Amino acid sequence: MSAYILPLFIVGVLIAGFAVRVPVYGSFVSGVKQALQLLLSVMPYFCAVLIAVELFTASGLAEKTQVALAPLLNALGIPPELAQLVVIRPLSGSGSTAVLRELIQTYGADSRIARCGCVMVGASETTFYVAAVYFSTVKERKLRYAIPVCLIASLAGAVAACALVR
Amino acid sequence: MNAVFFFMLVSALIVLTITAPETAFSVMLAGADKAVELALSLFAVYAVWLAVLEIMDKTGVNRAVNRLFAPLWKRVFKGENEKALEYISLNFSANLLGMGAAATPMGIKAMEQMSRGGEKATDNMLLFLVINATSVQLIPATVIGMRAAAGSQSASDIIVPSLVATLISTAVGVALAKLCAAASKKLAGRALPLAGRLSR
Repeated sequence: MSAYILPLFIVGVLIAGFAVRVPVYGSFVSGVKQALQLLLSVMPYFCAVLIAVELFTASGLAEKTQVALAPLLNALGIPPELAQLVVIRPLSGSGSTAVLRELIQTYGADSRIARCGCVMVGASETTFYVAAVYFSTVKERKLRYAIPVCLIASLAGAVAACALVR
Repeated sequence: MNAVFFFMLVSALIVLTITAPETAFSVMLAGADKAVELALSLFAVYAVWLAVLEIMDKTGVNRAVNRLFAPLWKRVFKGENEKALEYISLNFSANLLGMGAAATPMGIKAMEQMSRGGEKATDNMLLFLVINATSVQLIPATVIGMRAAAGSQSASDIIVPSLVATLISTAVGVALAKLCAAASKKLAGRALPLAGRLSR
């Protein structure tokens, strides 16, 4: 069902554009041009964020953070098996997918741990990536309270995920 | 972002210098490598979506989508122009439908419209970031796919808890962002007369 939505939506946009005499081809090309510019402005932020994340995990600091956070997370009702996922989730999208895949394989797709993890990942975003990308083309550099607020909100989501899955 | 980045880089590099100094450089290269890979794969997605978005822009589909959500977003993002609200509506709709890749370029355009060109991000920009960073999505398709692939009996039974959890995280985020915005306004109001007195 949902497979039809996307192509139909694009067909609809194209037909609507053609009907009101929008230069469809020219607009398409100028859209791709914008994508190219976007790529150029986003790229440096990707490098910065991903190098930092790579260093953070390779140095073992991610693991230390996760060990340090485990008691706190446990008090909030998040099982210690999921501590790694909580730490990696705001940092790296592909990283958290890898951790989740491992959880599913280790505990089974229908175990409580795996289901909690799935809800956690499904209900959250890669905070640092979103922050870097969304602010990549504007001048503003000071995000003030945004990062702590995002992280606390994600943690609230993770707590809710574990409370909801029985 | 500056402080977080500095802390992550310095602490990780110090630890690596102690434990495995020879790997430090290759780890950084690996990070940059991943950035190139990610950027290229995203370029493909952005190219398609920004092209479609450009046609939508010219056709007026944007305004139609905006009319659906305008009353809500006008209230949440006070003082933003029509164009910004249009992109915010599109970003939100794409997110809801689980098309995160399409939502991102629209979100960036919304940010550009909201930008005032200063050094500090405005409260509206931060609120928009918080909403996007706490994820608003009806069906977490990727995760369901992973569960199904691993042989789950009912791969989609996480839909409802995911929806509730994401609503809770977004609600907490929006509430905190609003609180911080109000607090910083109060502080600025108090700091100004003080600064005036000090400069005298």
